[in-house]
Amino acid sequence: MRSFRIVIAGHGTLPAAMLATAELICGQIPDLAAVGLEPTETPDHYAEGLRAAIGHDHRPVVVLCDLLGGTPFNIASAIARRSPRVICIAGANLAMVVEAALAAGTLDDALVERLIEVGRGGIVETERHRARRAS
Amino acid sequence: MSLRLVRIDDRLIHGQVVAGWLRALGAQRIVIVDDATARDEFLREVLTLAAPQGVPVEVHGVADGAARLITLAGTPEPIIVLARMPRTLLALRHAGVPIEVVDLGGMGAGPGRRRLHKTISASPDELRELRELEQMGTRVEIQIVADDRPIPFRSLDQSN
Repeated sequence: MRSFRIVIAGHGTLPAAMLATAELICGQIPDLAAVGLEPTETPDHYAEGLRAAIGHDHRPVVVLCDLLGGTPFNIASAIARRSPRVICIAGANLAMVVEAALAAGTLDDALVERLIEVGRGGIVETERHRARRAS
Repeated sequence: MSLRLVRIDDRLIHGQVVAGWLRALGAQRIVIVDDATARDEFLREVLTLAAPQGVPVEVHGVADGAARLITLAGTPEPIIVLARMPRTLLALRHAGVPIEVVDLGGMGAGPGRRRLHKTISASPDELRELRELEQMGTRVEIQIVADDRPIPFRSLDQSN
């Protein structure tokens, strides 16, 4: 059983679509929320929604953000800097979301490293990937 | 030489800037000029985190920023300069910073603010400051993302 919460933070409808797509792959995922930044939304309003999704209890939360330097990331990283139970990762992709969703146990350093590795590892170009696998 | 593009954006660094403008300008350095941000260590750190690897972020107050930008304007290095409000850029202009174009990239709506275009609104004071920038020979344009055709501020200022 996963002890932490997952929040997908990003631009427009991407977080909701990522959540829905991850559930196509994994089935229903508990304790997963998506918070999308609308084009006309102010950063303050977005921060409110993100804080609500992170929750006000003491549970650890990993926030998976779509773009390094984007407003959702900037707000999430500011929250994470002030709150040690919140971990913020940028460059989220479906592989990373699925890995987090299926993870068991606690949100420790090893898991954070694994999420980053799985996210990066899922990025390949087929010819290079084939050559590497053949060698 | 003068600074090619100086952007007013109340979010400073965000998606449109890192994913669009850095590449469009070939910029390898972000210089933020904002007194409040320069004084706030936490905000400075968050903004530094927002830039891609290999792109340094400098945060200056207006006085330091003017000296730094005059130096940088004399080098060929492409940079992107960000400020939150027109007043900052007017102060930089008065301090002798050569600015060719001011880009209005993000100025939020609010009470007493007039909407010029999409996500660009300005208070009466800001409108006066932008007009003054134009009188000093700096072009003021609205260009939210690099792909947009720039809209001269003057055309929107007069049509309202």
